[in-house]
Amino acid sequence: MINQQSKLLGILKQQKIIYSLLFLMSPLLSYSQAPTGQLKITFTNSVNNVPIILKDKVYQNPFGEDYTVNKLKYYVGNYSLSESIIKKSKHHYFLVDASAQNNCLTIEVPVGEYNNLGFTLGVDSIDNCSGAQTGALDPINDMFWTWNSGYVFFKLEGFSPSSSADLQRIQYHIGGYKGDNNAATAIQLFPTDQSMIAIKKNTTTEIEVVLHLDDFWNNPHAIKINETPVCMLPGALAKKIASNFNGLFSIKHISYLEEDKN
Amino acid sequence: MKKTKISICILLFIVVALLLMSASNKFGYKQPDPIKLIVPKGWPVPKIDIFAKNKLTEQGFQLGKKLFYDGRLSKDGEISCASCHQNFASFSTFDHDLSHGVENSFTKRNAPALINLAWMKEFHWDGAINHIEVQPLAPITAANEMGETIPNVLHKLRKDSVYLSMFKAAFGDTMINSQRMLKALAQFTGSLVSYNSKYDKVMRGESSYTDYEKRGYQVYKQHCSSCHQEPLFTDNSFRNNGLSLNRFHDIGRQGITNVSSDSLKFKVPTLRNTQRSFPYMHDGRLYSLYDVVEFYRTGIDTSQPTLDKKLKNRISITIKEKNELVHFLYTLTDSSFLNNTRFLPTISAVKRN
Ligand code: HEC
Ligand code: HEC
Repeated sequence: MINQQSKLLGILKQQKIIYSLLFLMSPLLSYSQAPTGQLKITFTNSVNNVPIILKDKVYQNPFGEDYTVNKLKYYVGNYSLSESIIKKSKHHYFLVDASAQNNCLTIEVPVGEYNNLGFTLGVDSIDNCSGAQTGALDPINDMFWTWNSGYVFFKLEGFSPSSSADLQRIQYHIGGYKGDNNAATAIQLFPTDQSMIAIKKNTTTEIEVVLHLDDFWNNPHAIKINETPVCMLPGALAKKIASNFNGLFSIKHISYLEEDKN
Repeated sequence: MKKTKISICILLFIVVALLLMSASNKFGYKQPDPIKLIVPKGWPVPKIDIFAKNKLTEQGFQLGKKLFYDGRLSKDGEISCASCHQNFASFSTFDHDLSHGVENSFTKRNAPALINLAWMKEFHWDGAINHIEVQPLAPITAANEMGETIPNVLHKLRKDSVYLSMFKAAFGDTMINSQRMLKALAQFTGSLVSYNSKYDKVMRGESSYTDYEKRGYQVYKQHCSSCHQEPLFTDNSFRNNGLSLNRFHDIGRQGITNVSSDSLKFKVPTLRNTQRSFPYMHDGRLYSLYDVVEFYRTGIDTSQPTLDKKLKNRISITIKEKNELVHFLYTLTDSSFLNNTRFLPTISAVKRN
């Protein structure tokens, strides 16, 4: 041990100029960081502005087709405020699951005033082909196509009397990361009253984002259950369904919670 | 003034270094021993380093091997990866066109040899799998292969103290998750490098061909090497070599890309150890190498629009050349690989629990 220490000292003496420079610069480095605040995004899922009840409740889509929702899960990531991507959220995904007690995530973002919140519905191409992952992207979350590698970005399952599929199932597994079939969708949301999203120091800004399932069926493309009860692969149909994702979400509410000063 | 700053800096550095040193010895944990992927002389360096984010170590390899030979990865405990990928058949299923899965099921494709996977970009006959680490998810969860779920497999592994200590040895602690299991499996399958056939020895100047084999090599170079390219004996591309549509309506690559020009295209398989990986083709429809060469001579369905240009006129070789070619293919058999005990289960891995 002693030997190792004296060796270290020897190396250090030779490089003392570099080290002392680094030492002198260290306060500068910490000052250059912009002040930050907390942004909490909460996702809720609704039909006709009422939170979705899984399995038991029968809903009707805009074409008058009845359906139930047994599963609703989707990936969000790459959050941005006024188009500036929050770096830390790159490659970090959150899996919204309608069966979870609550779906919220908190990120640290630069203080400022922003007019919109952005995020990606889906998973970036590179994260679809980087091997075994953990966290939200862990294949145990049942959002990975095992027989045709890639993530399901959005999964909606249930039953409908209008479905011609086996057991009258409806099954929309939307994904695809290659070229023209890339179904990842950039979402941009502006507060409804044109107000700004403020991020303040020592404050948590909470944005409630709502998914309106009604828009899944016809905004803008018509997805009728009696025509397409199932979509299980990347491709043109998945792309068409994904082009309705943009209109699915809105900001319901923004609130500010000051931290206790302790 | 300056001196005190420097000495504070030095002191900090020493503290950090000591902390790091003690951290590595924490809880008696020994760093796993790094090993290197064998890249034989004269071979291209793999385009993608499959171990870039999965450090290849002896402990990781051993864990991957244990998993590969373990029936607990399947629903009924009977089917391991090795049930369908047998070492003496170059890790294909010996003498089976299709392989057995759980509950008397059958696969719809022939199990390919598992060799030199580190040089492969896409896996399975149609390239459905985009990374070696996620490949095992397919057989583990397929109803006609291992019929299991990943959470169930992890649950079984976590109950076994041998696995707990092997995961710790490979990854630093006893946490067992899907990522570690998949990375360990990739360390084993990715290490299956076969490069010691007579062909390799001839190329290295350690052996020489008989005249007969030499002529076979010329036939191969003229008619087969464009797709089954040296030294891997595949260019890993997807091509239609003129087999007719099978009873499962397997359209190959088109099923993945949705592009009609990919109809009936399958990944060019390696010819290394091909003598041992019979029967042949994506559904195992051809039994012997003589059948294969005869197929290229007279059996190619030339009416298919996606048939590879090189095979439009089939392959015109004499019966004599056919025999020479088959004998050349025999020189691609690497018995030191097929008999390598390093790839066989260690005793503790054979018995269950
Ligand atoms: C029931 C038989 C069966 C079992 C069990 C099985 N495989 Fe396979 N394996 C196959 C078949 C068949 C294919 C070809 C699949 C295809 O092309 O669709 C294959 C393909 C592969 C490939 C791709 C090789 C290539 O050239 O593209 C790898 C790697 C592989 N298996 C590894 C494994 C591992 C690891 C396990 C255990 C977790 C396993 N297999 C379990 C039958 C099996
Ligand atoms: C145009 C490209 C091409 C040429 C030329 C070609 N092959 Fe193939 N070969 C393939 C493809 C593609 C497959 C897989 C076909 C399938 O299963 O659908 C294959 C499969 C094989 C197999 C089966 C291997 C296995 O493990 O199942 C053998 C053996 C083989 N070829 C030998 C030859 C020989 C010998 C020649 C020269 C006479 C030759 N090939 C020429 C593309 C080619």
